[in-house]
Amino acid sequence: MSDQSTSRAHPLLGVYGLSYSWRNQPQPESSGERKFGRGPTDRGSSGLVQVLNQVSFELARGEIIALFGPNGSGKSTLMKAAAGLLPLGRPGCGGQVRCAGIDFLSLSTQRRAQKIAYIGADLRAEFPLTAEEAVSLGRTCSGSGLFHPATRKDRERVQWAMEQTYCSDFRKRRLDRLSGGERQLVAMARALAQGAQVLFLDETLSRMDLNHQAAIGSRLKGLAQQGFGILVVSHDLNLATEWSDSVLLLKDGKKLAQGPLREVLTQENIGQLYPDADLVMGKNPKTGAPKVFFSVSG
Amino acid sequence: MRKNETLGVFLISILAWVATFWLALRIGVAHDVTPEILYGLRLPRAILATAIGMGLAVGGAGLQALFTNPLCEPYTLGISSGAALGAVIGLSLGVDGIFGGIAGPAFLGALLVTAILYLIALRPDTSSSTLLLTGIMLGFLGTSLVSLWLSLSSSTGLQGALAWLFGDLSRARFKGAVFLLAVVSFLSWMIWTHWRALDAFLMGEESAQALGVDVAQNRRKIILLISLLIGFCVGAGGMIGFVGLVVPHFCRRMVGALHIRLLPLSAIWGATLLVVADWLSRVLASPYELPVGIVTALVGAPLFLWMMLRRGEQR
Repeated sequence: MSDQSTSRAHPLLGVYGLSYSWRNQPQPESSGERKFGRGPTDRGSSGLVQVLNQVSFELARGEIIALFGPNGSGKSTLMKAAAGLLPLGRPGCGGQVRCAGIDFLSLSTQRRAQKIAYIGADLRAEFPLTAEEAVSLGRTCSGSGLFHPATRKDRERVQWAMEQTYCSDFRKRRLDRLSGGERQLVAMARALAQGAQVLFLDETLSRMDLNHQAAIGSRLKGLAQQGFGILVVSHDLNLATEWSDSVLLLKDGKKLAQGPLREVLTQENIGQLYPDADLVMGKNPKTGAPKVFFSVSG
Repeated sequence: MRKNETLGVFLISILAWVATFWLALRIGVAHDVTPEILYGLRLPRAILATAIGMGLAVGGAGLQALFTNPLCEPYTLGISSGAALGAVIGLSLGVDGIFGGIAGPAFLGALLVTAILYLIALRPDTSSSTLLLTGIMLGFLGTSLVSLWLSLSSSTGLQGALAWLFGDLSRARFKGAVFLLAVVSFLSWMIWTHWRALDAFLMGEESAQALGVDVAQNRRKIILLISLLIGFCVGAGGMIGFVGLVVPHFCRRMVGALHIRLLPLSAIWGATLLVVADWLSRVLASPYELPVGIVTALVGAPLFLWMMLRRGEQR
């Protein structure tokens, strides 16, 4: 069997039994947010905090999965651990990640970045990098020669990535002079420049305006049609449900449910996920996609 | 930045260094420039200033990227304090031990701190911030021990130790200066070969890892190279501040933040700045000589403030 047919037989990404624990104090997943409900603070006899507990899921080619869960439920940790950004050789940590059938975690850091691109909520801008330079850093994993900062292929890929994410107009502007939303577009372009087939977007659209959120959403659908697999973390359920195919619900570091939008995004599941919020399920009158509404009683 | 613009910037920068080097050789207190003065005194000093300026600027630029902190400088990691402690103890005990122009005890002090930092960097769960804080603490510890030693020791050798603490290139000898230039050039080259990793570090450690850089391995290598570089520079010239902080900022304005261009340009301007500073230290208060570290601080501090304020206005 050829390599290509072997890889087609496997899902684009398979995450199996992924666990992660912190030593001592649990690290806050996102800053400045008050944590409601019970977080992943189960301390075993070893004093470890189990942030992620045996989570498994598969991401197919052309699929967009929305990952939902309250603060501290382990969403970012799941993404980072699956992307190989967290060490899994410690007690309480472990699991398997397979990328098109290949043992992803046994690959070198450089090869991992060629397979999965992880994008956080913001790009740091302490140094005077232009948007184009920041995107070109996405080619770090392609590692062309010592004296050649960029090959023709690198330049073409960077240009394509910037066009895909609407960054071309401000390519020469410095990162510290861009708005938060524009920086997120640059971060997305950088991830596309990496050439990875799997994209992990960790709150990457949170600062974009509605125009850009809609445009990037349809661009993500386009990328999925080209064979990309995309995992999106967002607190904006209504936005993510508009263009994702399925959802993965995470609570206290454990998988609560996973499956197609309409089957998983139910009143019962949402109630379990956010017990302190009075939420009502509805539908988008145009697309029929499940929507969540606040029910604030006076 | 266009290729031609970059070439122009480099050409002008090299010309600036050549001009300052000529200035340092030709213009001084003595009107009759004898071969002894030229080759025995001024040339070694200018070469030594070139080497140390290069090393401090490259080290500063590298550390700023490695720790994603524009305020890092070669002395942030405490290596200089280790060198200072070694030098003060050595000088006050009369153990000068100069090998190839490098003060042996100072270099040993720098190596000791480097070894501690490297051992900490070897631990798999050490983050950059842990390493940075360790360096700062070692710096405080070294400075305190220097003060303690100076207050407890007799005045013999104290003058020499104090002069060394503020930066002193007057002990330059031709062979030692050339040796140091070769070592600094080699270590700077080795650091430059990591330009891709340093670029990735500009947006933080996690980002660098996501971009495909083995953060732990690169950090260990770069820390070792920069620590050795700084150890050699401090061992040869004492504590010369501001070069490693100001020069990379100044150069980023000309060629941007990517290290394939930033490191060589920082090397050239670091050399230029220190050759000028050393020349000023000789001629400003003639017949007395000012410590070169004081001159770089006097020039560097207002320059840095001006750059910061201008940057604020441009935002």
